[in-house]
Amino acid sequence: MARYFGLDRIFTFLNTIKEAGGIRASLYKLYRMDNLRPGQLVGTDKYGNKYYQNPSYFYGRNRWIEYAPYYGMEYDGSQVPAEWYGWLHYKTDLTPDQDPSRPKYKWMLDHTENLSGTPGQYMPYSTTRPKIEPWIPGRK
Amino acid sequence: MASAAIRRGAREVKPILSLDLDESRKRVLNLYKAWFRQLPYIVKQYDIPMNIEQCRSVLRQQFTNMIAYQDVRLMDMMVIKSQMELKEIVNMWKQKGHVMAYFAKDTVEPKPKDFLSKFLSGKD
Amino acid sequence: MMRITFAKVLQGAKISPKHLLIASRNQSGEVKKPEKIEVFIDNKSVMVEPGTTVLQAAAMVGVEIPRFCYHERLAVAGNCRMCLVEVEKSPKPVAACAMPVMKGWHIKTDSEMTKKAREGIMEFLLVNHPLDCPICDQGGECDLQDQSMAFGSDRSRFTDNDFSGKRAVEDKDIGPLIKTIMTRCIHCTRCIRFASEIAGVDDLGTTGRGNDMQVGTYIEKMFMSELSGNVIDLCPVGALTSKPYSFTARPWEIRKVDSIDVLDAVGSNIVVSTRTGEVMRIMPRVNEEINEEWLADKSRFSYDGLKRQRLVTPMIRDNKGELKPVDWEAALLTVAKVVKNAGSKIGAVAGGFADAEQLIAVKDLLNTLGSEALCTEHTFPLDGSGTDLRSSYLLNNRIAGAEEADVVLLVGTNPRFEAPLLNARLRKGWVHNELEVASIGPKVDLTYDHDHLGDDPQVLQQLINGQHEFSKKLRSAKKPLIIVGSETLERSDGAAILSAVQTLAASTSVENKDWKVLNVLHKIASQVAALDIGYTPGVDKIREGNLKVLFLLGADDGAIEKSDLPPDCFVIYQGHHGDHGASIADAILPGAAYTEKQATYVNTEGRAQQTLVAVSPPGRAREDWKIIRALSEIVGAKLPYDKLNEIRDRLEEVAPHLTRYGSAEGANYFKQAEQLAKKSKSQLDCTPIDVKVKELQDYFMTDSISRASPTMAKCVQAVLKQKQSKYCD
Repeated sequence: MARYFGLDRIFTFLNTIKEAGGIRASLYKLYRMDNLRPGQLVGTDKYGNKYYQNPSYFYGRNRWIEYAPYYGMEYDGSQVPAEWYGWLHYKTDLTPDQDPSRPKYKWMLDHTENLSGTPGQYMPYSTTRPKIEPWIPGRK
Repeated sequence: MASAAIRRGAREVKPILSLDLDESRKRVLNLYKAWFRQLPYIVKQYDIPMNIEQCRSVLRQQFTNMIAYQDVRLMDMMVIKSQMELKEIVNMWKQKGHVMAYFAKDTVEPKPKDFLSKFLSGKD
Repeated sequence: MMRITFAKVLQGAKISPKHLLIASRNQSGEVKKPEKIEVFIDNKSVMVEPGTTVLQAAAMVGVEIPRFCYHERLAVAGNCRMCLVEVEKSPKPVAACAMPVMKGWHIKTDSEMTKKAREGIMEFLLVNHPLDCPICDQGGECDLQDQSMAFGSDRSRFTDNDFSGKRAVEDKDIGPLIKTIMTRCIHCTRCIRFASEIAGVDDLGTTGRGNDMQVGTYIEKMFMSELSGNVIDLCPVGALTSKPYSFTARPWEIRKVDSIDVLDAVGSNIVVSTRTGEVMRIMPRVNEEINEEWLADKSRFSYDGLKRQRLVTPMIRDNKGELKPVDWEAALLTVAKVVKNAGSKIGAVAGGFADAEQLIAVKDLLNTLGSEALCTEHTFPLDGSGTDLRSSYLLNNRIAGAEEADVVLLVGTNPRFEAPLLNARLRKGWVHNELEVASIGPKVDLTYDHDHLGDDPQVLQQLINGQHEFSKKLRSAKKPLIIVGSETLERSDGAAILSAVQTLAASTSVENKDWKVLNVLHKIASQVAALDIGYTPGVDKIREGNLKVLFLLGADDGAIEKSDLPPDCFVIYQGHHGDHGASIADAILPGAAYTEKQATYVNTEGRAQQTLVAVSPPGRAREDWKIIRALSEIVGAKLPYDKLNEIRDRLEEVAPHLTRYGSAEGANYFKQAEQLAKKSKSQLDCTPIDVKVKELQDYFMTDSISRASPTMAKCVQAVLKQKQSKYCD
């Protein structure tokens, strides 16, 4: 009945706004992600990124990430940690906590985002000895 | 010797296109018009950061630079070459950089001449 | 090395009249010259003096005989046998280096017998020489390599039938300068002869015989000589190579630039080898008048100091009191502003590495600004004639003249470390010419026997009065020399000492008018040029001048401290090394070191020589006179020269000898100087005469270049370690 009148779309719309946390939050999310869609929260990684899915969208658009709020507008793909990468890119359907075959060792390094263009970026340096060593004042 | 040289200089030559100065002058003017009309399209098609006024002044400059050459054969040859370039532009055989080259000034810095600027630049 | 040797021999043949001249001066009509005898080299007739060796006779007609052990500045050893040649009617080939020619000999240097002898010797040498030329530092400049190509057999009969291998010898450790790979040694004994004859350090020798012979020090010890680097050049193979240079460059990829050494006042001629804009090594260049073919260790090995502690950019002290790099424009503007405000209250102190061009530019600038406070770091007595007469501050009798002397008196100098090559000359005279040496000053080892007359300055007075036993010898000597160290003249009674020495020199009986008795030996390269140009010796003027701006032209010896200057004095340091001077400076203008500029230096005998550009100055450093020239323009007192030639014209105006490169301008007016000096009221002190550099460890690090050199630091450590050894005498 409601479907017949197209009221379900209104419900969905209202529901989406509700899930997003109100009108103001919805507008912010729309501004931040250019997109506002209802979805089921699948998991959260240790950096605070939230992973959603909504099977009613077609394949390829039905999984997405909402970057942690503190990234603001400065989010990018390299902030997705390795364990979630597979799920987000349809390499696997198992989220990290469901996957038993995923090894976890103490020595594994923490994920780092791509630091290019920031002060933390890698700069190649010369390992050859300089031909002239300059005098530095105040050093013997 | 000298007379031979004069004779050789004053010898009848085969015309390239025009038979006299008037004709070659017409060709030059026609060429100028063709370029002039093409300018708006050049700005648009090549997406160059110049407006039409600037293009016109450069075009004018290019032609006035050659005003000293009043030899019929020479003018014909330059007209032919310029037409070739125009065709290359119209047919998009050139690229943006080639077009911008018309606006380019000499980028080589002049060498320092006096002692102090030589000293400061470290060039001798 | 071989090539140099041959070239020299050939040159010697060409300039033989000069040699004859020296010979005749030596003998001066004592014996009649014996008649020449005729010999035939490859059927070419040549007239030679009796006693000439076959090798020398062959050199006169341009025939080079291969050799390893023979060296014309060393005693003949005759043990390598490479110089075997056939002599007609002689059943066996003879060693050309040791055999004097006889009348009418027919010597065949190209016969079958000679060739066979050479090939045989070469084969024997190569039996026990490793074939490691690809990793050998001598590769490309190796006598054995060259001569085996030229004179060796084209095939080898060497087969290691029982796989016993070639002879192997353990390497020796003889210090941080010389690397030894003793397996390569062919026992020519050149190094041994050099050490005992020229360096005067009997450290090297042989042990064992025949195949078991080894060259070494017997017990492991350092080769403690200030001339040790020369054995590297002498070694015809790669047994002795330079440690700092090892595995850094090959001779064929090197650019060589002729230059002048400035680390002492001798002005040795050097060749600077560079590659990829870096000085790779420094080697001596033959100059019979100065350094023959030797070079002192400090000059040869301190080149790595040119790459450390360099001033590469102008610096200005900011308001926090820290020196901060700036560009030339900012530096010159700042300095010019200060100089303008100072008016005529401006001075300059010239250090040891200042070249004549820089000195004249600074002098011209300061004089136009109305200042006369131009000083050298090292002082000199100004009483009497002071520095007006050149004869009172030059090594008047030249360096080469030292070997002809018969009596030498050293006053307050240690030539072994102040001018090692002058000392080598003195030793040469002592060995070959029965030279007698006496010294006043501290007791030091000069590598030859000498009378030590004590360190009391009063001895000079006794010598003048004739009360001293040595005065008789000095008076009766035909060619006496008195060499005074410049350091002694820096004493408070320097004037009195100079006066005493001048009187003493005048009291000698010298017949030859060209022979000059009085000689002053300087320690730093810039002093003579500075005095010639008209700098005031000593920094008293600076201390008293109440200056607002002070230029330090590479003055690093600490003659001027911050406390000597008024607190608001702005110190500008212009030089190439960050050392004492740079640390007290308010502005630093980086200059070029001696390998980086074409500049004039005058050595202690008054000989003007020029260095050439081997590498470009590092970073933003500039040639020194150009800095002054640029500054003058900004100050508004533009100096009238833009090019090197123009500033040299100016030099010529001031002192014409400064641009007569290569020739030593003599000085005169000894009598006048002496008489003027007598007017001085200065009295001889009783404090003992002393010199700073007494022992080898003091020698290596004396100036800003050698203080920055890691090699020199290693040398000091090695000598100190060796001195603690129980085998050290």
